[in-house]
Amino acid sequence: MKRLSALLALLCTAALAAGCSSDASRSRGDAATLATGAPADTSLPSGPVHLVMWWWGDQEAPGAKAWLADTVAAYHQKHPNITIETVLQTTDGLIPGFQAAAAAKQGPDLQYFWGGIYSQQPAWAGSIVPVSDYVPAAELKHYLNAAAEDSYDGKILTAPWYVNPQFPVLVRKDVLAAHGLEVPRTWDDFMTACDTLHKAGVTTIAGGVKDGWFGGWLFSMLGAQPLDSQTDVTDAVVGKKKFTDAELAEMWTRLQETREHHCWNDDINSLELYQAQQRWVSGDAAMTITAGTDAPNFVQKVGADKVAITTMPTFGDGPFAGKMATTSQTIGITSWSKYPQVGADFIQFMHSPDRLQAFYDKTGVMPADDRFDVSKVSDPTKKQLFDMALKGSPYIENYIPVELDSNAVFTNVQLVLQGSRSGKDAAADMQKQMERLRIKDRSLAKNFEAWAG
Amino acid sequence: MNPVTTVAPRERTAVTAPARPRSRRPRHRLWGLLPWVAPAALTIAFVFGYSLIDVFAQSLQYKGTWAGLDNFMIVVTDPLFRTAILHNAQLLLVVPVLIVIALGLAILLFETRRGMRGYRAALFFPYILPIPVVGVVFGVLLQLNGGLNQALRAVGLGGIAPDWLGDPNWALWTMAAIIVWKEVGFGIVLFLARLMSLSTEVYEAARLDGAGFFRLHRHITVPQLRGLILFYVINEAIVMVSWVFNYVYVMTNGQGGPGTSTVVSELYIYRSAFVDRSPELAAAAAVMLFAATLVLIIGFFRMQRPGEGAFDE
Repeated sequence: MKRLSALLALLCTAALAAGCSSDASRSRGDAATLATGAPADTSLPSGPVHLVMWWWGDQEAPGAKAWLADTVAAYHQKHPNITIETVLQTTDGLIPGFQAAAAAKQGPDLQYFWGGIYSQQPAWAGSIVPVSDYVPAAELKHYLNAAAEDSYDGKILTAPWYVNPQFPVLVRKDVLAAHGLEVPRTWDDFMTACDTLHKAGVTTIAGGVKDGWFGGWLFSMLGAQPLDSQTDVTDAVVGKKKFTDAELAEMWTRLQETREHHCWNDDINSLELYQAQQRWVSGDAAMTITAGTDAPNFVQKVGADKVAITTMPTFGDGPFAGKMATTSQTIGITSWSKYPQVGADFIQFMHSPDRLQAFYDKTGVMPADDRFDVSKVSDPTKKQLFDMALKGSPYIENYIPVELDSNAVFTNVQLVLQGSRSGKDAAADMQKQMERLRIKDRSLAKNFEAWAG
Repeated sequence: MNPVTTVAPRERTAVTAPARPRSRRPRHRLWGLLPWVAPAALTIAFVFGYSLIDVFAQSLQYKGTWAGLDNFMIVVTDPLFRTAILHNAQLLLVVPVLIVIALGLAILLFETRRGMRGYRAALFFPYILPIPVVGVVFGVLLQLNGGLNQALRAVGLGGIAPDWLGDPNWALWTMAAIIVWKEVGFGIVLFLARLMSLSTEVYEAARLDGAGFFRLHRHITVPQLRGLILFYVINEAIVMVSWVFNYVYVMTNGQGGPGTSTVVSELYIYRSAFVDRSPELAAAAAVMLFAATLVLIIGFFRMQRPGEGAFDE
């Protein structure tokens, strides 16, 4: 009977998702019509207000939790009638958790989103209102990457919070030097390093793809190199190009090469990335990849003199080859929030000069605001990362549908690195899944065209 | 008189309980039960009934408009869904293994007696462990360089030390083994409880007749446990069809990987609804899963003979 109840509960879950989401979707045409806020009413209510904010980020920006607690307290001091409750989300629960909340139309007033597609799709579904309905354009123009990643139909959907340089390759110079190697900058050098270190029983680059997310990173770091612009990717999404086209498929064959040259730890499919990174810290691996926001912490653990920060060794000659990608993690206002203007005011408070500086001081991470004075950053590691991010290229994982990312990119990276699928087959599978996705989500192509166009 | 001839009638009596007369309760007594049943019935009808109707309705719509069977067609032709169903079917193959292990261990405990309580507790222990704990522990233990493989390599068995959860050829069967490990305790306790309640006279008589271990249990134990075995088969079949989500979610971080090697129908529904933003497809898949499970449940009730139900014996 317990199992029957569970089955019924599963049906209830599906009903919740299906039933509740129908209201939002009923109002949608083929391309998304964004949910809009009331005509910008920026006056704050005088009665008691309680906001809930779901967020993620302490994992990649340690110290953000303390900063957010301080910021909420400071905001409450400024507006005693307003309290903000913050709820930290897990990586795997971030998207499904918000999807469930959106289906029920209750949950957070403010929600954390990664940039690009992660802020676009909730807006297309009517789950968030554009922040530009509540935050003045003069303020939003300072928010880094907002226009590039988070705009749709002339509106800014979510407000960038902090910048993530995606993704630095951390190199142990001491480990390489012990085997007569230097920091590999080109693909050929990288393959040579893999061959040499493998013979010596040392892992060249440590990674973990068990949870899939690292696959998306590799897709961007390898996939961007042959491209002329992110439009190449969005064109493949809408059907103007194919993921089997040479410039889009090359990343898969390069990934296959890394397996053939034994570049990775042999248990890459068994581990999550964070577990594998510890091997780099312990000196058992020469290289690893980490979130840009977290890179300084890794460097500090090993010692700056032993570490080089670089980008993925280059094979492409496109404008993105050899560049770090940049994206901003963002905050959005949910369409069911009773006090969107309060949420917007809090977002602006997060961007006040005092809070920007405090964010950097607490986390060592760059706030996504051009009013933050980068020239005052003295730490060479952070300075290098910030410079790379400011000159960075688009982060192409943010320009494919989330479904394609998890169902095609994550899975194919696992299979190619495990050796059960070739790079060519992985590209073909990605194309097949994209075609399938256009059938499943019948408004996807139009939304993408409206976004990219 | 030959003792066998005296045993046989008793054995029949023990194996097949007399069929319960189909009593017809007076209608007024049924009405009298109604006030007691109504609150629970209404709660179930509201909580599950509404959801059931809504999910059926949603499975026939796309963005609020009538879509006929389109969603079902999309789901049925989706290679990922077919992969998920195949994996559920493969997991069903584990049920007979589960039955044999549970029954075998229950009989061994029944025969051993000495230390039975301790063994029984030890074997039942996995069943009460939370699935997330099991998932995390096995996730670490079964890494390519995890505890199990290190032990295998240490004794010279490195050749049979695969990446249990990281190799797509092994992942599903590894998960099946974990499910067996966790679920078998329930069967053992169930069977053992029934065995302990059986009359010992039948066994003593059979032994006097010279019945050996296998013959004894093949011809006496199994027939007497028939209803219970059937219940356990159906219960575990439902587990394999619609109750393995937790294992897959915890051990693969909700991905069903590596690749799609551990995607099951529940995960397909979950991901369709909450990751892929396709609630209508999730509804269609949920309806199909519900129908499949319903077939199992109806089959269970139809296969039960009067007086042979798991809880009738």
